[in-house]
Amino acid sequence: MSDRVELSRVPGLPLDWSALQARVQQVLDAGPYWFPVRHHSPTVALHVGAAIRARRPRLVLIEGPSEASHLIAHLLDRKTRPPVAIYSSYRDDANVLGLAGVATPSPDVPVRSSVWYPLLPYSPELEAMLAAQEVGAELAFIDLPHHALMKPHRPPENDEPEPRVEAVAPSESAGEATHERGSEGHIERSEFYQRLAAAAGFRTFDEAWDGLFEVGGQARDTEDFRRDMACFCAAARATTDPARIASDDTLPRERFMLREIRRHLSERELAPEQAVVVTGGFHMLLDRDDPELPPEPPPGTLNTTIVPYSYYRVAERSGYAAGNRAPAFYQLQWDTRQRGGDHQDLVIEHVTRVMRQGRKKGSALSSADAIAVTQHASMLGRLRGRSEPVLDDIEDALITCCCKGDPAEVGQDLQAAMREAAVGSRVGKVTRAVGMLPIVADFQAQISDLELGEALQRDRNFVLSLDRKQPLDARRSAFLHRLCYLGVPLGSLDPEAVRGTIHRETWTLRWSPSIDPAVVERSALGDTIESAAAAKLEEDLAHAQLSAGATTARVLDALRMELPDFATRLHDVCGPAIDADPRFVSLAHGLTSLLVIDRHAAFRGLRRDVVADLVVRCYGRASFAIPDIASVPPEEEREAVDGLQAVAEAVLGEHEVALDRDLFAAYVSSAAAQTSSMFMRGVLLGLLAELRVIDGAVLAAEISGLARGAETAMVAAGDLVRGILEVSRASLMLGADAIVEAIDELLRASSWEIFLVMLPSLRAAFEKLRGADLGVMCDRVAVRYGLREVEELDLSLTVGAAALMAEVDQRVAQIMEGFMQGFSEGR
Amino acid sequence: MATKKTSKSTKKSGTKASPDAEVGTEQEAGAGASEPASEGASSDGEVLRQPAEVAHADQLEALRQNESDTAPASWWLSPRSVLTYIVGGKTLTATIRGKQTEVEITRKFFGDDTVVERAIVTLASERALLLVGEPGTGKSWLSEHLAAAICGNSCLTIQGTAGTTEEHIKYSWNVARVIAEGYTLANLVPSPTMNAMRSGALLRFEEITRCVPDVQDALVSVLSDKAIAVPELPSSPLIWAKPGFNVIATANSRDQGVNELSAALKRRFNYVHIPIIGDQRTEQSVVRQRTSELMQRYGLQAKVAPPVLDLLTTVFRELRQGKSKEGIGLKQPGTTMSTAEAIGCALDAALHARYFGDGTVRPADIARNLTGSVVKEDLGDLASLREYATLVGKKRGAKDPVWKELCDALEVALRQ
Repeated sequence: MSDRVELSRVPGLPLDWSALQARVQQVLDAGPYWFPVRHHSPTVALHVGAAIRARRPRLVLIEGPSEASHLIAHLLDRKTRPPVAIYSSYRDDANVLGLAGVATPSPDVPVRSSVWYPLLPYSPELEAMLAAQEVGAELAFIDLPHHALMKPHRPPENDEPEPRVEAVAPSESAGEATHERGSEGHIERSEFYQRLAAAAGFRTFDEAWDGLFEVGGQARDTEDFRRDMACFCAAARATTDPARIASDDTLPRERFMLREIRRHLSERELAPEQAVVVTGGFHMLLDRDDPELPPEPPPGTLNTTIVPYSYYRVAERSGYAAGNRAPAFYQLQWDTRQRGGDHQDLVIEHVTRVMRQGRKKGSALSSADAIAVTQHASMLGRLRGRSEPVLDDIEDALITCCCKGDPAEVGQDLQAAMREAAVGSRVGKVTRAVGMLPIVADFQAQISDLELGEALQRDRNFVLSLDRKQPLDARRSAFLHRLCYLGVPLGSLDPEAVRGTIHRETWTLRWSPSIDPAVVERSALGDTIESAAAAKLEEDLAHAQLSAGATTARVLDALRMELPDFATRLHDVCGPAIDADPRFVSLAHGLTSLLVIDRHAAFRGLRRDVVADLVVRCYGRASFAIPDIASVPPEEEREAVDGLQAVAEAVLGEHEVALDRDLFAAYVSSAAAQTSSMFMRGVLLGLLAELRVIDGAVLAAEISGLARGAETAMVAAGDLVRGILEVSRASLMLGADAIVEAIDELLRASSWEIFLVMLPSLRAAFEKLRGADLGVMCDRVAVRYGLREVEELDLSLTVGAAALMAEVDQRVAQIMEGFMQGFSEGR
Repeated sequence: MATKKTSKSTKKSGTKASPDAEVGTEQEAGAGASEPASEGASSDGEVLRQPAEVAHADQLEALRQNESDTAPASWWLSPRSVLTYIVGGKTLTATIRGKQTEVEITRKFFGDDTVVERAIVTLASERALLLVGEPGTGKSWLSEHLAAAICGNSCLTIQGTAGTTEEHIKYSWNVARVIAEGYTLANLVPSPTMNAMRSGALLRFEEITRCVPDVQDALVSVLSDKAIAVPELPSSPLIWAKPGFNVIATANSRDQGVNELSAALKRRFNYVHIPIIGDQRTEQSVVRQRTSELMQRYGLQAKVAPPVLDLLTTVFRELRQGKSKEGIGLKQPGTTMSTAEAIGCALDAALHARYFGDGTVRPADIARNLTGSVVKEDLGDLASLREYATLVGKKRGAKDPVWKELCDALEVALRQ
């Protein structure tokens, strides 16, 4: 424990430490024998294992999902290799909670909830299970099933407003966050911990924990260690506002755990002393006289299984109580102690691993550096009041001794090496004896059926080119699109390769340890990949019902995923969304999606007349909505311009659906007249030029008008030019002379201050020009500044360079003129 | 005993090797607090600025009397007490000049305390310390206080320049006596390095990367062998360092690539990077505290209202970050807009207000000095200031008279 601040002497703490100790001792002495733990703590794992082996209880009860008690045998199976996770999902198919359509987007979408419980080789819970198995004790999980915390819908009475109920999406309900975040969060926020951290200078809770309990903890007497942990947690609980504890799931879970402990003891007719209870430290001080009953889990579809997990995923959750900031480092700590090594061995081994990773990245790290880091870490630990360095000290020492400059600039490789060494790449395995969830079986069957197994056996990228006209490729494409839609990280589609065609696709596939957990997580949506994708799509459509852009995008997804039911519902799904959506940007996106849907319809032989009708409706409504963007706020201008360009492309492009160009032009003209934003006016006028409604001379006159106007108006001229150049292409080719002349006039008329204000806009405007457009503009600048033989030059230059070239040309012409004059006079 | 040590340090300050070091220290004092103005004189008589071990002698003595930990060989204080001296936050009871007194340990360095911890630990290890960072981040300030707390002498200093030679680092000879008597140890003129080695003290090497690489490499043997060879003497003796000897060097990150340290030297140094103060509130309080201390030192009867100082730190911060708080992108000047530079600007404005105004620093005084702070090496930086005034200042000036006065004065200053 830190020799800088004793727990009992935290300054300013409103707590009678002796009384607290006496109360804790009472709990420790009473039956059953209770061992407080911190999840994923190697030192706690060591002591809890030792305590169980020493006491040889008949029953060991562990804080784990009670609905997964039947999986304990599989967790202890020799073929199961942690890290693994218990996964539990619930679906209220019969809507007994009445939350369908309240907490979900539609009455057809049942409410769901799911949770992960990761277990590492050094998790105290797993070590307790192994020790219990060794001494022949029975084992059970005693925590409240996660779905018991879901409250049924209560209809509002009379004038009472409808209570807001949050939907529970599988992707958002990572279990490690929901089950233990509360209690460790309480400890961290408690007055006791806050004062302790301020006095001892702890920067994070992890640093505090490691300094207080991990360093030197393994050499301590198990009962002393248990008492200190219990006091630490009791002090935190005693200085936490009871209202805060009552506001989360702590109390219902504690009531359930208490009831389960009593039930297990009574069913087996055991005395409390014959049992050991292993829970988070905060729960040890639960109210044993609480008269309230725990909530009952509602009926529904419940799936529980064990899934391979990875250290990367555990570390990803860092910051939550059940996360672990450096799983490989703590694994090393566990392994070092198992083989009788000391803390110095751990530090040296970890530093050496970082050095190895760093060298792989090209950093010149020597053995002398490793020695310096080890020494520095040890001294830093002592300066910070610790007998041995913790991970924070080691990492600070690595930066000090190995990073020769600003860590943000020159230390990136080193920091990457530190992350890799701390997190590790270990992936767990699960015995085959655990039944596979139907969705996992379907996933694996499809991988085999679609001949994708080979691609997934390698731990590197596999590029797959598909031609959807081939039956196998079409099925592969649909499968991969479904996985993508479900968020299963198997592959990604190359957006460049798909541009311009709907038949050819290029995918990059790569195996990752996140794939299995992701598939399992989707089991709440359906039993096959196809049904899960369809369920998610249904849910997303319900969310998007008033958005033309989102609805049509989902239908396009359905076509890519080969979910034909949705294609037949095209009119019913998209029609109302298009009619109800007044937003231009959403309608413009809808139009773009519908034009792609039309191509899919042609490819698949679907009814194109339905699509054509929707295209015309969406186009018309998008045109009617254009005046609204005249007053769009600056932060929304970008998407408004993208929408306008999308509609313009639809009008100017070649489609079988005829679109009324005049309708679009009329509304664009109207918006141009209404808008007060010079940028938007430039965009709208530029579009009119593209539509051949006005010519380059009109655009030029607009710029000249500002050049001749007041200074206040002139300031905005840069935005007008930026708007014009944002969308103009053909009009530039045709009217470049006039536009260049007008910009020249503008620049000559502006003062230095006004020019400075206009400069960012003008720069942004000209940066938009590329290729031929840039060439035309440079040519016109050059001609304006007197370059005579421009037609013979290919000027792919900057405007400034063109002007310079023109000046050189003029000088040469003058010299030649003088020369010719002299020559003729001489003659 | 304590009093004895204090007087010893005062005496040692007379052995200061390079008066230029004071200038560097002063220039980079931005991130640190200052000594109490009441201690404006040393035993040598009145001086403009005292070294840290003199200015903070009471605090060092109080820490020494309350020491509960073991100090490394030749260190005056244990590492934990050195840390307390630098980060402050304690009040200790000590007998100072025969009287029992409550001595407040003030914070000397503002920023991340782990930077200080890493620096202290490095100095207790085999490796030397290189404090690296942008100009004005407090490298020299921290170096001076570390030396004061660890060995009671912050004046064994070499100021690195393009003209620094190996003799400045190792030793030179009294040429007249060498001609008369030949090479003897008595005719050797020791460098601050040699003095530090002989007494087990810390050598401060300011701006090491300003020295050419050949000269820098003279330190390699000093740092690896902890000895200096004197081949001119008949027995070629080695002058060995006593325990406690180490080097604190500073390097400006703007000089990176100019005279990069050789690989051999790099690996003998631990680099501790000192970042520019991260949050605006801390920077404002540093500027406020330091400006008032400097004004006291100069006996300036000027007033700087908090809104004016806030305006100054806002201008510096926004130009440094290249973005205004409204999100307007700005051209960043080539000059480092450091906290120390802001303090300098405030002091110049106070001097101007005192001697050419009514004693109250106004936004216009800040504007006059801003040009000099921003435009140092590149006249192009004028454009940055002009852009800032036009795009940010004018808009704020429409609502806030403080900003209006700043912009109006900037416009005049920029025209000149």
